Amino acid sequence: MKFLSKITQNYLLPFTIVLLVVTIAGYFMLRKIIVYGAKEKLLSKEYLIEQQIKNTGEIPNLHPIIEVQKTDKEPDISPSFKKVTIRNELEKEDELFLEYSSKINIAGTFYQVKLRQSTFENEDLLVILSLTMFILMSSVFIISFFSTRRMNRTVWAGFEHNLHEIESYSLKLNNDISLVNSDIEEFERLNIVITDFARKLRSDYLMLKEFTENASHEIQTPLSIALINLEEILQNDIKEDVFKKVVTVINSLKRLTALNQNLILLAKIENMQFEACSEVSLNEILFRKKEEFSAFFEAKKLNVEIIPEGDFIIRMNEYLSDILIGNLLSNSINHNINGGIIKILIKPGLLKICNTAENNTLTNKTIFNRFVSGNPKSSGLGLSIVRQICETHSLTVQYTKDVLHCFTICTKS
Amino acid sequence: MKILIIEDEFDLLIAISNYLTKENYICELAESFSKASEKLAIYEYDIILLDITLPDGNGLNLLSTIKKHQKKAGIIIITAKNSLDDKIHGLDLGADDYMTKPFYLSELNSRIKAVLRRKQFDGTSILTFDEIIVDSESKSVFIKGEPIAFTKKEYDLLLFFMINKNRVLTKEAIAEHLWEDNIDMADTYDFIYTHLNNIRRKIKAVGGKDYVRTLYGMGYKFTDQ
Repeated sequence: MKFLSKITQNYLLPFTIVLLVVTIAGYFMLRKIIVYGAKEKLLSKEYLIEQQIKNTGEIPNLHPIIEVQKTDKEPDISPSFKKVTIRNELEKEDELFLEYSSKINIAGTFYQVKLRQSTFENEDLLVILSLTMFILMSSVFIISFFSTRRMNRTVWAGFEHNLHEIESYSLKLNNDISLVNSDIEEFERLNIVITDFARKLRSDYLMLKEFTENASHEIQTPLSIALINLEEILQNDIKEDVFKKVVTVINSLKRLTALNQNLILLAKIENMQFEACSEVSLNEILFRKKEEFSAFFEAKKLNVEIIPEGDFIIRMNEYLSDILIGNLLSNSINHNINGGIIKILIKPGLLKICNTAENNTLTNKTIFNRFVSGNPKSSGLGLSIVRQICETHSLTVQYTKDVLHCFTICTKS
Repeated sequence: MKILIIEDEFDLLIAISNYLTKENYICELAESFSKASEKLAIYEYDIILLDITLPDGNGLNLLSTIKKHQKKAGIIIITAKNSLDDKIHGLDLGADDYMTKPFYLSELNSRIKAVLRRKQFDGTSILTFDEIIVDSESKSVFIKGEPIAFTKKEYDLLLFFMINKNRVLTKEAIAEHLWEDNIDMADTYDFIYTHLNNIRRKIKAVGGKDYVRTLYGMGYKFTDQ
């Protein structure tokens, strides 16, 4: 949820409650005040009528507002208020009145008094007042809501831009993070922290990258010296056990070399050090590699079938495309059974290499991991390299096993 | 044949020079960029082995000097960096071959011979070993004067053996020579055996001798001694 929505949501509910409570409470309070005022008016009217009768003996009567009746004996009523509805003949509708019933005693003569005050207009007023209050408060809210949104758009614009910048920031790209300055102190502090953080991260990354590269290269030289000297030892007339030991050492060093070279390759692919300079046809490479590997196919008596349903053209470094196909093919040979089959389907955007193989416990999740291998002789880096190449070229690679073990490479849609 | 070895790692320099001297090359050594420039300006060489990473300069920058003073020399770049860019760049600048450390000395010898053949320093493309004659130009093999058909791999293997005659070659070194980057394959050694048997059979068929000696199941030696 966006910050703005969160804020809006958070204050929408309390505001609505307050709005309703204030409107309703206001209504009732106003009503009480109005009723109180009406009662006061009626009481003062009663006093005026009493004075009038006392002074002039005239009994005022004004239906339906004032009704005074002379009674012979004391009426059995105590002063009270009640609501009554009286038909207004003029407007032909019922109107609500507050009625005050009382008695007046003037020099032993009793008068029954009924005074009425129309509350009809007051009720209208009440509703109008409450409504006005409601509208007023709502408009304040709506105005503040939209002005906040507008403000947000300007105030948060820089923040949004920076957020986008951070999201798209990659250590691999050769540029510093560029954040927009802000006149808001908190944002500016955040910018400074992030810029420093990115700079530190980047320098660490470069250092590590350089270290890996240098270390790997430096390893090759002592390996060369060791191997060349061991090779020379072999040229001497040495005993069988010594010979075998020397060869074993040579082979181990060669494995170490291959491992090191593969790790360098992986690091280079990861660091995007291979420029995709041309469009390559995987079909072409596939058929070329098939030729190159023909001896291996024959040796295992593998039946190799390529079904081309169109050209798979991709923008990729040529060297990498060679490695990609080479690794997949050697994988399908190395883990194949004698007399097995290799079936390859290629069409635009899809390459599927299937082969018969011994059963293994590897899954799509594990098979591409480094140093994971179904064969103790292999380094377990070949498929990691395949995945790394795919990941850096918007390709997906998937391993499935059914009757045949298949690797499917396709372009990300 | 005169070879200049430019390599800053002293142990490696000595090991390569010892080996090449044994192979009847005349070796001169340069362990720095400045020394190499000096020698390149004065003497003439047939082959120059060039390390790219030198303490006082990039070996690739020596290529222009070499091209200026050593028009005839074959150049083999030797580097710890397995970088395709460097390789292409080096070959563009006039290098004849590119080897990545570590390498087998037998492979180095084979590459030097290949460059020499290409440059025609031997004056001939014919390689002879007793009754076996290989013409590297037409890629044909004659045994006791009779032309014998070899497959490409068999031919490569025979040539590798003849260049490295009397030398112990491990199966791995042979596999690496024949399949280069594809030696990751699990069954390469069986192929060597198959190819080897074919060579033996073809030589024997015309009454040739078996020159291949197997060493404890781990290596081979091509020798008539």
